[in-house]
Amino acid sequence: MQNAITLRRRRELITAGVLVALLIVLPLPFHDPYTRNLMILTLLYAALAQSWNILGGTCGQISLGHSLYFGVGAYVSTLLFVWHGVPPWFGMLAAAAVAGLLALLVGWPCFRLSGHYYAIATVVVQEIAYLLFLNWDDIGGASGVYVPFHGQSWLNLQFRTAKLPYFYVMLGFFALTWIAAWWIEGSRWGFSWRAVKDDVIAARSLGVRVFPSKMAAAAISGGLTGIGGAIFAQFVGYIDPDSILSGPLSILIALPAVLGGVGTLWGPLLGAAVLIPLRELSSTFLGSSGSGVDLMLYGALIMVVALWRPQGLVSLFQRGRNGSAS
Amino acid sequence: MKRLGLLATAAALALSVVPAFAADDVIIGVIYPLTGNSAPVGLDAKVAYDVTAEIINGTHAPLPMLMGKGGGLDKLGGAKIKLVYADSQNDPQKARAEAERLITQEHAVAVLGAYTSATAATISQVTDRYEIPFVNADSTSPSLSQRGLKWYFRTTPHDEMFSQAMFKFFADEGAKTGHKVTKIALFHEDSLFGTDSSNVQLKLAADAKIDVVADVKYRANSPSLSAEAQKLKAADPDAILPSSYTSDAILIMKAMHEIGYTPKAVMAQAAGFQESGFLAGVGPLSEGVFSRSSFALDAVKSRPAIEPVNALYKAKNNKDLNDNTSRQVTGLVVLADAINRAGSTKAEAIRTALIATNVPGNQTIMPWAGVKFDENGQNIEGTPVIQQVSGGTYHTVWPADVATQPAVWNVGK
Amino acid sequence: MQVALSGLLMGLIYALVAAGLSLIFGLMDVVNFAHGELMMVAMYAAFTLWQVSGLDPMIMLPLVALLMFGIGMAVYRLLIARALAVRFNKGMVQIFVTFGLAIFIRGAAQMVFGGEFRAVTGTALADRSWHLGGIFLPLPQLAAGFVCLLAFGGLYLIGRTEFGHALEATREDRDAVALIGIDRDRIFSLGWGLGAATLGVAGVMLAGFYYVSPNVGANFALIAYVTVALGGFGSLMGALVAGLLIGEVEAVTAQLLEPSLKQVGMFAIYLAVLMFRPRGLFGKI
Repeated sequence: MQNAITLRRRRELITAGVLVALLIVLPLPFHDPYTRNLMILTLLYAALAQSWNILGGTCGQISLGHSLYFGVGAYVSTLLFVWHGVPPWFGMLAAAAVAGLLALLVGWPCFRLSGHYYAIATVVVQEIAYLLFLNWDDIGGASGVYVPFHGQSWLNLQFRTAKLPYFYVMLGFFALTWIAAWWIEGSRWGFSWRAVKDDVIAARSLGVRVFPSKMAAAAISGGLTGIGGAIFAQFVGYIDPDSILSGPLSILIALPAVLGGVGTLWGPLLGAAVLIPLRELSSTFLGSSGSGVDLMLYGALIMVVALWRPQGLVSLFQRGRNGSAS
Repeated sequence: MKRLGLLATAAALALSVVPAFAADDVIIGVIYPLTGNSAPVGLDAKVAYDVTAEIINGTHAPLPMLMGKGGGLDKLGGAKIKLVYADSQNDPQKARAEAERLITQEHAVAVLGAYTSATAATISQVTDRYEIPFVNADSTSPSLSQRGLKWYFRTTPHDEMFSQAMFKFFADEGAKTGHKVTKIALFHEDSLFGTDSSNVQLKLAADAKIDVVADVKYRANSPSLSAEAQKLKAADPDAILPSSYTSDAILIMKAMHEIGYTPKAVMAQAAGFQESGFLAGVGPLSEGVFSRSSFALDAVKSRPAIEPVNALYKAKNNKDLNDNTSRQVTGLVVLADAINRAGSTKAEAIRTALIATNVPGNQTIMPWAGVKFDENGQNIEGTPVIQQVSGGTYHTVWPADVATQPAVWNVGK
Repeated sequence: MQVALSGLLMGLIYALVAAGLSLIFGLMDVVNFAHGELMMVAMYAAFTLWQVSGLDPMIMLPLVALLMFGIGMAVYRLLIARALAVRFNKGMVQIFVTFGLAIFIRGAAQMVFGGEFRAVTGTALADRSWHLGGIFLPLPQLAAGFVCLLAFGGLYLIGRTEFGHALEATREDRDAVALIGIDRDRIFSLGWGLGAATLGVAGVMLAGFYYVSPNVGANFALIAYVTVALGGFGSLMGALVAGLLIGEVEAVTAQLLEPSLKQVGMFAIYLAVLMFRPRGLFGKI
């Protein structure tokens, strides 16, 4: 039994290695920035969904306010960069620390709530943060923050028009979140968190400390999401509360994991690979008509996938194998 | 400036030696919010740009304005303007990606946009990195032209220029009619537009020694604005200066009326107050409202092109040109003229021609002194007007040379 | 005084918008994330009827409520019943199915009505107020508040009928009711119809003084979720009390602090209450 699990986990690691190798060469034949931009966004949302999955999937706490950690991470690293010239690589660490701490701070009161009460509380906390940032003039308020361009450099993670470096940074970020998820799955933590997700009372009787489990999952999930925000700010060059700390973004962070497969290792990537290109392409090629068709398509896709494959798209690849990751 | 002019001539001469590709379409990328809350403005913009492109490209009786004779760009062998639209969804990230797509995939030689200032901010960063001209027809946040961008050109006046016009109007009216404005109240939404606008107004009020008796910053798209209306009523200023989009413009006028408050004057920072949805939505409550505007539909005497252009637009969209659509028409006309003068679709040549732009106001449909860019790419001759609603439509009341009616104070009192 | 009254009237509206949401949740543990969008549909229905007939939307109220009843049942049959039948991730599937529905409806509204802001004007009550000793009571809001109380009365009475008892029984134990001959599916779909119909009432009253646009639902939806969670999911009384509380807190915060922070006030109250009562004011522990 133990052997079978070890074998499966090793196989997953090898699959991941092969996939990363494929992803490294994937953007090379495509030279136009639009396609590369699409790939970068897909990886970004895959990584964010993977981070969300640690709390939402593995631990079963449906957070609908994750843009809070993304936005705060973006602000922390950007302000460090703009005010003090701190390179974003260090900014990312600070972003992870602040976002992780914030997740603990939010989790402390909210984890006492159950089910939908918890979900709505996360929305409300994020909304409060959004309103405060919008009215906080010292950090730009509604005007947002411009990231000044200091010339092409890896240290500052700034490139005039090149997209490839961002792709590899994003790939690295995705690999980081995947490894974190993979490691957690095999660790004692993963066991405890899944127990919390499946049945809180049974988990308690097994000696799982429920509250600390949720807190640890939240801190890791929030911290990773914060790193994503820091990279994104450098990539876009302009941040404001509306675009990085909003309710719709929170949903978009969770959506790839839900559609791809909640609590699975490959669900977030698969979900993002389907959802993000479809969303971007439909808004580019149908949205310019202004008729709302793109929104209808996007909404219909979510409904259809959620109903047709409630265990996620990843289940399409698991026929004959009963061992889904959760 | 003279040297730049010479440079432009030199560039034009140099390029005229090499004949441009005959009658190849000149592609211009156009980025607007076409879905979401700001979609109505973007959809109107689309019609305005289409009509303008038809005027520039088409065969018709010559219109009395810049690029009004039709037949395409004559210095490019009659090449036609072709517009490619993209939806920004009012999302800065999306606007950035679409700008890149238009430049690299659609091979746009220049970009037009963008309505909201947040999207203009990211588009302008892209165009500067790709070294493609960006003509910003209608975003008014002053900070946009203060970032030392090389490829950014803004034809519209910005909010500081607009607010200056308001205060000048107050002073002029005070001197002429004895109706003094000594205390004002600001009412603005918590967005980029609202905060920028109110910050400038606070500064200008201090300069003009006018008391700001209330500074009400509110949450955009609130379910109710009655508490905000209360604050305005309690302050009872000589004029309320709102900076709001359509939804909140409708709501605050209703909310003030509901608590029995008729303000002495409302002087709007255009935006929602200039939209047809506002006039239809509040009906008679809009009577007497002042608004700054960059457009004067009734200035037909001094701007002969207004009537024919408006007729073409109205035939397609069943409404008159307004503050936004008129600026969009002008943005495209100025850009097309620059490309034509450049005689080339090379980015550097277009930029040089844009820098050399010097169009007198009567060659446009705007009541402006003209179009002439400073070193930041800001049009310094875009002089705004003040308008007032009477009989359900806006009429120009200031400055005197384009006014069609005198200003009326204390309407409804 | 004026502030308190405005808050009270707004609070009644919030309560009515939240009532349908609370009803559906109490019945089947489903949070409808397309709640605001369904209300937007009701507002457009009211607006269109007014535009076509020229009659006050309030006269059309039964018609819109009936229409919404049908839409609510259809949504249940086509989507929710299926979402409840899935074997995996039930909680997430229902959240994201209703979320997908919300986006779909928004796109459809833009397609049919365009993105313009519209408003009902020139009706008998429009833009009129009662002036009582320094206090102004806007008639459309007053009427809305009155209708809201009627609707709550109606919901209370329905709760006492046989159908109401069946609802209650289904809420208590979903599986046992089948044994005593109650068709669970039918009760659920009627519950959705009823929930959507109250939303129809709210939409019509709101159309009397608020603008209509494809995104208008979002302005009210978050407040509705907060109202329901604050009152306690499934509690009608809770929705009413929480709605009034939130209306008052909003008005008072706007008066004391900057109005742009008024929603922070209502959200903070909500979080504070949840600290002490994790299932809301009237929620079953």
